[in-house]
Amino acid sequence: MTKLHDQISRRTVLGGGAALAATLAMPGVLRAQEPKSVKIGILQPVTGNLAQDGELGRTGAEYAIKAVNDAGGIPSLGGATLEMVFGDARSTPEGGTAEVERMQSEGVAGIVGGFASPICLASSQAAARYDLPYVVDVGVSDKIVQRDLSNTFRFGPGFGTCSKTAIENLVKLNEAAGKPARTVVLVHEDGLFGSGLAKLMATELPKYGFEIFETIAHPTPARDMSNVALRIRSLKPDLIIPSSYYGETVLLMRTLYQQRVRPMGYYSVLNGAASNMRFVKEFPEIANLDMDCNHWHDPRKEEAIQLKKAVEDAGGLWAYNIPLNYSCVKLLADAIDRAGSVEPKAINEALAASTFEGHVMPYGPTKFDKGQNTGAAPVSLQVQDETIKVIYPEEFADAKPVFPISG
Amino acid sequence: MSALRPYLPVIGLGVLLALAPLFVTSNVALNFLVFTLIIALAAQGWNLLGGFGGQFSFGHAAFFGVGAYVSAIWQMSLGLDAWTGFVAGTLAGAVTGLTIGFLAFRAGLRGSYFALVTLAFAEVFRVLSNSSEATGGAAGLLLPLRIGAQNLQFADRSTFLAFVVALTILVLLLVQWIRGSRFGAQLVALRENEEAARALGVDVFAVKLKAIGLSGAITAAAGVLYLQYFLFIDSNIVFGTWISVEVLLAAIVGGLGTVLGPVVGALALHGLGELVKHLAGDLPGIDLAVYGAVLVVAVAFLPGGLVGLFRRKPAPRQVRKTAPEGGRV
Repeated sequence: MTKLHDQISRRTVLGGGAALAATLAMPGVLRAQEPKSVKIGILQPVTGNLAQDGELGRTGAEYAIKAVNDAGGIPSLGGATLEMVFGDARSTPEGGTAEVERMQSEGVAGIVGGFASPICLASSQAAARYDLPYVVDVGVSDKIVQRDLSNTFRFGPGFGTCSKTAIENLVKLNEAAGKPARTVVLVHEDGLFGSGLAKLMATELPKYGFEIFETIAHPTPARDMSNVALRIRSLKPDLIIPSSYYGETVLLMRTLYQQRVRPMGYYSVLNGAASNMRFVKEFPEIANLDMDCNHWHDPRKEEAIQLKKAVEDAGGLWAYNIPLNYSCVKLLADAIDRAGSVEPKAINEALAASTFEGHVMPYGPTKFDKGQNTGAAPVSLQVQDETIKVIYPEEFADAKPVFPISG
Repeated sequence: MSALRPYLPVIGLGVLLALAPLFVTSNVALNFLVFTLIIALAAQGWNLLGGFGGQFSFGHAAFFGVGAYVSAIWQMSLGLDAWTGFVAGTLAGAVTGLTIGFLAFRAGLRGSYFALVTLAFAEVFRVLSNSSEATGGAAGLLLPLRIGAQNLQFADRSTFLAFVVALTILVLLLVQWIRGSRFGAQLVALRENEEAARALGVDVFAVKLKAIGLSGAITAAAGVLYLQYFLFIDSNIVFGTWISVEVLLAAIVGGLGTVLGPVVGALALHGLGELVKHLAGDLPGIDLAVYGAVLVVAVAFLPGGLVGLFRRKPAPRQVRKTAPEGGRV
């Protein structure tokens, strides 16, 4: 012991003390520096029923993070790069909530995603406990933005706007063709979006002279659509309006095709298949001339075209989830930049006051009213020449509608 | 002391759980514990009827959903408070249990027939709640975020956990008491041999009815907790088959017909799920695949459940005998 004591000289003690003082002072120095990276949470359901959509959403977010980082990161934070903290919502609200908790504990500055309305509702509420900014990518339930949560922002259009636009465009389409279609069959999944939409259509369409022959509900997942197809064949409607997720719509369309049902048109709303390139690629004949009113990128924007090309060149398929999530992440990055901080309150304020134009959707600058981007609207699409074209609004349509397709 | 002895394991687990909110501060862990204990509570309801009484239900979602929906409607449509909503939801679960039990047991349904009827009830409730205006249709019901103890919504997750823990301990004590009571003995008697129990003077119908009533109430209470915690329910969430399967799994893996089984089972299953999720890496769903494999191994090698591991003797003979017997699931 004595020997050890003897070995520690005064100089050593002084040197050690200086080193200790420097170490203690380090956190202050570090704090003064700008963060090197900003974590953002990307919440998507990549397992369970909604896995396909979740993967598409993740792809969009990844491209956006890369784009922001390649463009120099967050300028006001000294070029800090975005770092993704990914969470699998497992297609359930409690899965989403658990991931929000984890993301919060990992120190994310905000969260983007959710996809399905129930996941968005539960997850944004969990994030609201910390006032953590939450940008909803798709979830169309209007309840999402009717809760006065200061942290929740929906960049895309809600259910009300989508159905209103869909009906307006359908009426316009029919009138332009000389009103050939008069009778309709509604087929919908029995969940939140399908049922709500069918109910609204059944109330609104008769006001424009359409006769609703029948409203047919089916569960998700559904393994067989033969009975639905046979019923439709016997009813012989001019128009078929399906409101279902990807698998069920594909099944329905294939069965109808096999049963030789040839209506004047298929016009779906927020459908999982008719604006998904996978359907167009796998069943080109069946998908041909299907119409859908849905989220879509702005074909006038060069960045959107480049993004689509990059995704397709990498072997991916293009669907609306990609440009929506791409835009949502860029919107959050812009808010962080304008806030100049990763403090939740500052980012929420920046989002609320946002007039962001650097997105790839056909919305114009963002303007949030109680968390809803008021400029957001869907477009009407049609599968033509094995690709998906915008047919309405006319301002940026890249194709003329083909209607009626038969009869 | 000897009267207290059977309660010692329950008290031990209770103390451990009660200490959890004091030591666990991470919201990730708190969230995990709250959700797992809600499932454990629902599983305890199932265990009372299925584990002790031998009446396997495949549709406990019916009770879970009734509890959640009744409490939500109680608060949102009737404007009443959350605490009475909790009681109303629990009672509604009991009434639903009694009704299903009355119809099924009076018709003499047993084994797989009883299981199918309960499954059918849960599905009917799911379809009805999906289309009815009162239950919000397919859009479900969103309980407004009004943080405050009077609304059974707490600012921090540890307070909610403390509430769930208290309720779990209460139910564990109740089940332990039932196990040692005359009613408990009658339940086990009818599980082992219904005809013999009847011959010995057990009113089989009344015992089954009491069990399903209590079971419904406990599972419905878990449903109300789910509502109060996540504040959003729809028909596929609370009447979905996932909850019926979750409660079955927790009770079976933990130890069928044991007091601690459902809690141990739920904690082990969810803990394993989280652990695998952390270790499994980025490939989506790989954790679920590993989880499934571990589950198969666990069930194959632990016939007495996890609680059976701590017994000095292997699982009681009569428990193993019930499975292959005719008419039972």
